Amino acid sequence: MRRLIALLLLLCAGMARAHEIGTTQVRLDLGADHRWTAVVTTFPTALLNRLEAEAGRPLSRDLTAARVQEILPGFAAAIARHADIRFDGQAVPVTARLSRVDMPDDVMLPSTVELTLSGPIPDTARAVTWRYELVSSTYAVVFSDGTGGAPATQWLEGDADSKPFALSVNAPPAIPGQIIAQYLQLGFLHILPQGLDHILFVLGIFLLTTKPRPILIQVTAFTIAHSVTLGLTLYGVISLPPRIVEPLIALSVAYVAIENVVAGTLTPWRPAVVFGFGLLHGMGFAGVLTELRLSRADVVPALVSFNAGIELAQLTIIGAAYLAFALWHRNKPWYRRRFVVPSSLAIAATGLFWTAQRIAG
Amino acid sequence: MKTCLAAVAALFATAAAAHDFWIEPSTFHPTPGTAVGVGLRVGEYFIGDPVKRQSSAIERFLVRQADGEQAVGGADNIDPAGFLRADGRETAVIGYSGGGAYLEMPPDRFAVYLRLYGLDWVVAEREKRGESARPGRERFYRCAKALLTGARGAAAASRPLGFAYEIVPDDDPTRRREPFGGHLLSDGKPMAGAVIGAYLQGEPSIRLETRTDSAGAFRFDLPKAGVWLIRSVHMERAGMFDRNDWNSRWASLTFEQPEGAR
Repeated sequence: MRRLIALLLLLCAGMARAHEIGTTQVRLDLGADHRWTAVVTTFPTALLNRLEAEAGRPLSRDLTAARVQEILPGFAAAIARHADIRFDGQAVPVTARLSRVDMPDDVMLPSTVELTLSGPIPDTARAVTWRYELVSSTYAVVFSDGTGGAPATQWLEGDADSKPFALSVNAPPAIPGQIIAQYLQLGFLHILPQGLDHILFVLGIFLLTTKPRPILIQVTAFTIAHSVTLGLTLYGVISLPPRIVEPLIALSVAYVAIENVVAGTLTPWRPAVVFGFGLLHGMGFAGVLTELRLSRADVVPALVSFNAGIELAQLTIIGAAYLAFALWHRNKPWYRRRFVVPSSLAIAATGLFWTAQRIAG
Repeated sequence: MKTCLAAVAALFATAAAAHDFWIEPSTFHPTPGTAVGVGLRVGEYFIGDPVKRQSSAIERFLVRQADGEQAVGGADNIDPAGFLRADGRETAVIGYSGGGAYLEMPPDRFAVYLRLYGLDWVVAEREKRGESARPGRERFYRCAKALLTGARGAAAASRPLGFAYEIVPDDDPTRRREPFGGHLLSDGKPMAGAVIGAYLQGEPSIRLETRTDSAGAFRFDLPKAGVWLIRSVHMERAGMFDRNDWNSRWASLTFEQPEGAR
């Protein structure tokens, strides 16, 4: 088992690490009036020095707000050339102007400059991509669809191209059957194989007992709970930040596994505890759906089919575990000692490790 | 040493994929008691964007000055990434190590970037492995240092901080104008044959480049006084369980060399 835990730790060690997030931010508004506007907030010295270097001019040092306001408008055309906005792959003309400069004397406060870029949106445009070449750090672009679609945020590395952002106004009408199939698959894949923490939680539920009734009670409690919070989170009724939800989900994995070792039977409080943890997992599931920018008309079928996909994945996990081991060995005297306890301890160790890792950030 | 004074336009034509990392304090010569903002910068040719502080990415962030070693404090998601109160009595050393950021870029841009940093052997290795047409997948780690000029020099300026990849000057370069010599260490051992670059702040056309000798030593005849960035990158193949194919380590040192005759 030590090897198993070591392997799990090794696999987790290389998981997502921090990017070098800078002070640049972009908000790209796609208006219903067939015009787009991008507000770029960025660091004035780097912006101006890059433009000066490109133009072969001496670089400005010790800049003040007044100096930036004097020099930067002369580079408006150059700034526009470094912004590449494409609708369905076709570049559109860009105009740029300086909107605001904020350079406090206090070295503890950041300096920023705000640029406003704008241009036309072709009548038949379906999707837009963004690229801005005057930044080296990681930054966020918030796409805001004034034609009725939901906003979306993309993180870009320096001058990388964004992924296409679909405009709702010219989007082809969605076919209900396609949405159901798409979200059923998404829900299933979100658990199996992508949701290792959810898989271990379900295995924790299964390991408590091989009797169908206790498993059914726990799975039902979990399902009702995560369905409730998934829906409420998606509609914005409740909201908890991932830095709280994610460690608690990891802790829930450890809890069910530890209780398997300590109690060994379905305690009266276990369904209630599983229900409580299900509420947390539902908020975790909601993250993936909110990132997908569902239009309002698609929310209900997507929600129902996504939930169905999750249930299908959970039943698959329990069924596979039962067929692989419990079916053949559940009545053996050593079943609990050699299978349930070591497996639960491995799950508990993994859950505790994740808890610490997620709290540490 | 090979010195290269290239045209600015040509430099920026290949800037897209490069990403140096350095420490840029609000002042390089603080008077005693001055509050100093410690900015982290990512960019190219010594023109950089601020990087916000992220505790999760920091391994060490410290300052060594006359009154001892302290952690550089700060608040997450804020630029400057750190703040310190300068002692000012002698040269202070600021150190930052951390990172682990992941980057993926198209194969052609990855190759340009590798050649730009003297990593032609990685290009050859990718060809050998049949990866030339695949995106470059890299995780990079940062080891940046800066020297703050004090009333007198400090032996600490030429002592390693113990970073995984580190540029260590032979003498305190903030005292007087003289050729800049130093050693490059990888896991505390001399790193031979690595490319070292030097850039002067405000003059991106000045780009000096050399390679370390068998003892990890290098030397630059810095042509002007001012704030200098010395930097090096080392790349190695990632492990089989990694999402990335390559791990890179970036070392940098920033300091202000004073005016004055040699």
